[in-house]
Amino acid sequence: MQHSQANLSAHANKRIGRDKIPVEIKYHRRSRILELIYPKQNTLELSSEYLRVHSPSAEVQGHSPEQAVLQYGKQNVSITDIIMQGSYAIKLSFDDKHDTGIYTWQYLWELAENKNSYWQSYLQALAAACKSRI
Amino acid sequence: MSFWRTLFKRTNDHPLDEKTHTNLENIISNAYVDPYLGADLVSAHAINSLSREGEQLKVSISLNYPAATIQKDIIEILEPALSQLEAFESVAIDIQSNIPAHMGQRAEASRIKNIIAISSGKGGVGKSTTTVNLALALAAEGASVGILDADLYGPSQPHLLGIPEGTRPQTRDMRHYAPLNAHGLKLMSMGLMVNEDTPMMWRGPVASETIQQLINQTLWGDMDYLLIDMPPGTGDIHITLAQTLAIAGAVVVTTPQDISLLDAQKGISMFNSVDVPVLGVIENMASHICTHCGHSEAVFGQHGGEKMARENHSELLGSLPLQRQIREQADAGLPIVLAEPDGEIAKLYKEIALRIAVNVAQPGLITPLPKITFVDD
Repeated sequence: MQHSQANLSAHANKRIGRDKIPVEIKYHRRSRILELIYPKQNTLELSSEYLRVHSPSAEVQGHSPEQAVLQYGKQNVSITDIIMQGSYAIKLSFDDKHDTGIYTWQYLWELAENKNSYWQSYLQALAAACKSRI
Repeated sequence: MSFWRTLFKRTNDHPLDEKTHTNLENIISNAYVDPYLGADLVSAHAINSLSREGEQLKVSISLNYPAATIQKDIIEILEPALSQLEAFESVAIDIQSNIPAHMGQRAEASRIKNIIAISSGKGGVGKSTTTVNLALALAAEGASVGILDADLYGPSQPHLLGIPEGTRPQTRDMRHYAPLNAHGLKLMSMGLMVNEDTPMMWRGPVASETIQQLINQTLWGDMDYLLIDMPPGTGDIHITLAQTLAIAGAVVVTTPQDISLLDAQKGISMFNSVDVPVLGVIENMASHICTHCGHSEAVFGQHGGEKMARENHSELLGSLPLQRQIREQADAGLPIVLAEPDGEIAKLYKEIALRIAVNVAQPGLITPLPKITFVDD
């Protein structure tokens, strides 16, 4: 049974686009890559390290940009668990005991879209702080 | 039901030829427009089948909301319209409600088809009274309904439903509890666990843990709708609920005054950020009707709820007056939908309840959840 199209789009208005919600999430243990498969068949791949150092958790981001804590030495970090949060996000647990990051569909999309620039800034921040990925 | 129907389908039903079929569809769509679906039954895809059994025309209709009342209206309108046809001697109209399920629930809540949060930013705008009356209205229309009283600090559902003080939910293993049955509703509330005058002096983490236990350790069973009577605000309990359950939609209750609308707006923004669709806004205490002279006065201002609904691309589900009976009967443990089921106020609640049911059944509203897998490569 269908409802009027106008009403439907009204509800969808404020919400995240359906094409930004993955239909499948696959974690590859050996390569430590999280694969996100979206409805329009496009697939995005994010490494555990990238996700870990950009965790949205307050432990990483602080409560303002100045409070952010630079993460380092996470090259070999791996994801141990993925838990759905309601219908809006996933919570990732990592093998370094970090498990407070809640990644919304919107944030995952942002991480994927800006993968190169975010990664370059991260590497620069590491170099500036004399820290390493290992 | 539909499974048995298919299994034992009587073989003397015959499909109709295309011309008769189209003709019948035209008659049906011209005769009746469903007020809740906002469309006729043909274009709303509510016609299950049209067939002939001997000299009888059989019409099978499937609605996606509970419709005990409206069934009669539909039959009263369609029967005479279809009886005019000479090709059939008689007409049999069968109407079923098939309430679609919102997927993605975990564990104990997996048999609940739709979880609906009834919320407001502000306290004291009548959330609990609205929740109980909406739940009773849905049940009266034939749905199986439950209430989760998520207001741990000030649970009011046991009182509203007239449950005697000291009643405790039954348990066999001290871990899983059966919800209480009250007036045909299933109820779980913190108020059933402790004495009426015991204050819950808890910090956030304990409250979060407790609300999870109330959800996961209650034997809810099969249910069409679970209404959550949310506490005021946007705190620990709200976040925990949004993360633990796949909430099908939220309804925001507000009075039309600015100070209540401000907080209601925060409530809407909270639901937006956790991707829970707002099904609509209910304006409570919209007008006061004088018990002496019947004069109606908008004590808390006008059109506030409507404006907020519009600004948030949602809809105003209805406005309820500030009336003494609603309060008195709620306090007496017999909410107005039960006490005066045919009264004006009960009709308003039923109207709103069915609007919610139709909104939550929209196919586009249900967020498909991703499948999560781990592979070794």
